[in-house]
Amino acid sequence: MMPDLYVAVIIKLEPDFSEGNVSYNADGTLNRAETKSILGPHSAIACQAAFLAKVKYGARVAVGTMGPPNADIALAQAQQVCDADELHLYSDRAFAGADTWATAETLRAGIAKMEGSSSGRSMDIVFSGHRASDGETGQTGPQTAVKLGSTFLGNVIDYDVDMQRRVVRAFRLITLQGFYDVVEEVEAPLPVFIAIDPTYKASFNTVSQRLAFEKYQKQAMGKAATVKQQIKVFNAQQLGTDPKLVGLPGSPTIVYRVEKIPKAKASRMAQVVDGSDRRQLAQVAAKIHEVLGGMVIK
Amino acid sequence: MKYEHLYVVIEHEGGKPIPVSLEMLGEARRLMDGYNSKYGASELVVAVVLGNNVRKLCDQLVHYGADAVIYADSPELEYSRNAVDTPVLFQIATNRDLVLKFAPKSTGFVKPRYMFFAADNIGRQLSSTVVGYLDSGLASDINKLAISDLEIKHEHKTKGQAMVYERTLEMYRPDFSGFLWTTILCLDNRNPAIAKEFHPQACSIIPGVFAPIERDATRKGVIVDYAPTFDPESLKVKILSRKIVKSSVDFDSKKAVVSFGRGIKGSPEENIRMVAELAKELDAEVGVSLPISKKPFPVSENVSSTYMTPDRVVGTSGRKVTPLLYIAAGISGTMHHLAGMKESGFVLAINPDEDAPIKGECDMFVKGRMEDVVPALIEELRRLRPALEAKR
Repeated sequence: MMPDLYVAVIIKLEPDFSEGNVSYNADGTLNRAETKSILGPHSAIACQAAFLAKVKYGARVAVGTMGPPNADIALAQAQQVCDADELHLYSDRAFAGADTWATAETLRAGIAKMEGSSSGRSMDIVFSGHRASDGETGQTGPQTAVKLGSTFLGNVIDYDVDMQRRVVRAFRLITLQGFYDVVEEVEAPLPVFIAIDPTYKASFNTVSQRLAFEKYQKQAMGKAATVKQQIKVFNAQQLGTDPKLVGLPGSPTIVYRVEKIPKAKASRMAQVVDGSDRRQLAQVAAKIHEVLGGMVIK
Repeated sequence: MKYEHLYVVIEHEGGKPIPVSLEMLGEARRLMDGYNSKYGASELVVAVVLGNNVRKLCDQLVHYGADAVIYADSPELEYSRNAVDTPVLFQIATNRDLVLKFAPKSTGFVKPRYMFFAADNIGRQLSSTVVGYLDSGLASDINKLAISDLEIKHEHKTKGQAMVYERTLEMYRPDFSGFLWTTILCLDNRNPAIAKEFHPQACSIIPGVFAPIERDATRKGVIVDYAPTFDPESLKVKILSRKIVKSSVDFDSKKAVVSFGRGIKGSPEENIRMVAELAKELDAEVGVSLPISKKPFPVSENVSSTYMTPDRVVGTSGRKVTPLLYIAAGISGTMHHLAGMKESGFVLAINPDEDAPIKGECDMFVKGRMEDVVPALIEELRRLRPALEAKR
């Protein structure tokens, strides 16, 4: 039976910032050569959101990433999270050095190769993480949405799909500086592009959903041993990308300079206290109470 | 000229500007004043506002530095919807007739020279889609800007030749580590094989970094009304409800904030527990530095999901806090973090390293490891309790 819903997740291989795997240079910057790489944490959350579509709506899930050959690690990890039916790696020297706009072009071309994009239709939902933990721009998702011509919904903390009306209903968490946070409930016709908020948590309410969850999870585990054989690798020629639109030639922006941020001039004159001296710490405690007006005793 | 003026996309809530909007105008004013005198030009700071009943806001934007304001007023623009706002902003940014209303001598306008957005939830996404429509480049989370003539030699942009790019916007963004500054440029491809012009040079700007200019109610500007054409498809995106929520993390009503950083690494679980206890003792909220939100240390699920979360980050990609008392425990004090806490009343740092930048931003520096200092400090605070209670 043809699935009624096709979803994609675009993910990224990122440095693993966990202790023991991350390595820093003496000046505090990341030592990329010595740091392991994994499926980025925001990408993993996007995979969870896609998995919800599989459990609730029987969606077919495709995962795509642009990266070097070893980005297959991220795809294998993503497969475990969302029991993906299709795994894509877009890898070519021609894609290297791309800024977010040129990356979006490669991802657009890749998504067009997914099964759900065949015969002229587009993927119903494409998910991405909120931002990458190394680049941190948060631009690639919405820029890919522009390239795909999909409605972009960012900061999504929950969503459901009205399969009859082909409409997605999403809840978005928006922080308005100096005002308050707003949760906005928005509906949009498919196709949509959803960037998942870091606070997203999948919830499976019904028994049948929980059973489906377990079934697919087992299925994903079953595929783990052979996952790398499931990965389809596409080079630039296979994707049919225009060399002028991808990689360095397709990037409007360049990194001109990288410098150490100069230490700011001291703006306060600190009184230095010896933390091992109890008498001095007692003075610190007294100062704290003075600052807080002695009001904070609970 | 094809590319002229600096467009600033304003954000507001019900007609009241979000602070970063005025901050962007302030920086735009300073940059364009410098630009105009350096290049003998007369290019303008143009604020762009979408909303419902926002005419009054336009005057305010002039008082804060805009030379011209283009506004689109419609019930459809009451709240920001990316799908609706993006094509409207694209129309505005490419409309020559609008430019003639505030710069009558302008000829051949195609797109803005520069464009600013706010690096917040709305602006970060809007900048990506609008600049995407404009087929140009974008730098995110900028905290320093300059305009200069730069000699560039680039394998692709200039085919390896040295060429001068005039009036180039240097966009500085602090990287995730907080230790490096990366300068991003948006440059035309002058290499004939890939020739293409990229304008506007655009960026999103971190809230709380730049100062607004002083309000001047006598400033004059041209205010232009724009009636947008809505794509009926985009109007199918509907806001069904909108609820103001209180974040479970409350930095604003607490008098004190206790934050921790990578200094917890000796015994992460125990150190976070002690920080939470110190916060409880002071009725303070708990904050974290950016690296902590990336969950670098293994701790129990409960501690991780309660404390190592993005909504607790103090700094440029998190919250700016201004409590009476700010305690930074095991935080070195990258520029990223300092920007989020430096306006606090009294700052206390706990750190074994006297070279840590936090020392220059604190009033009291307790030298020591947090596992030693925090428990002892809690004890000392508790010892003071009876005396204080007696005073009441």
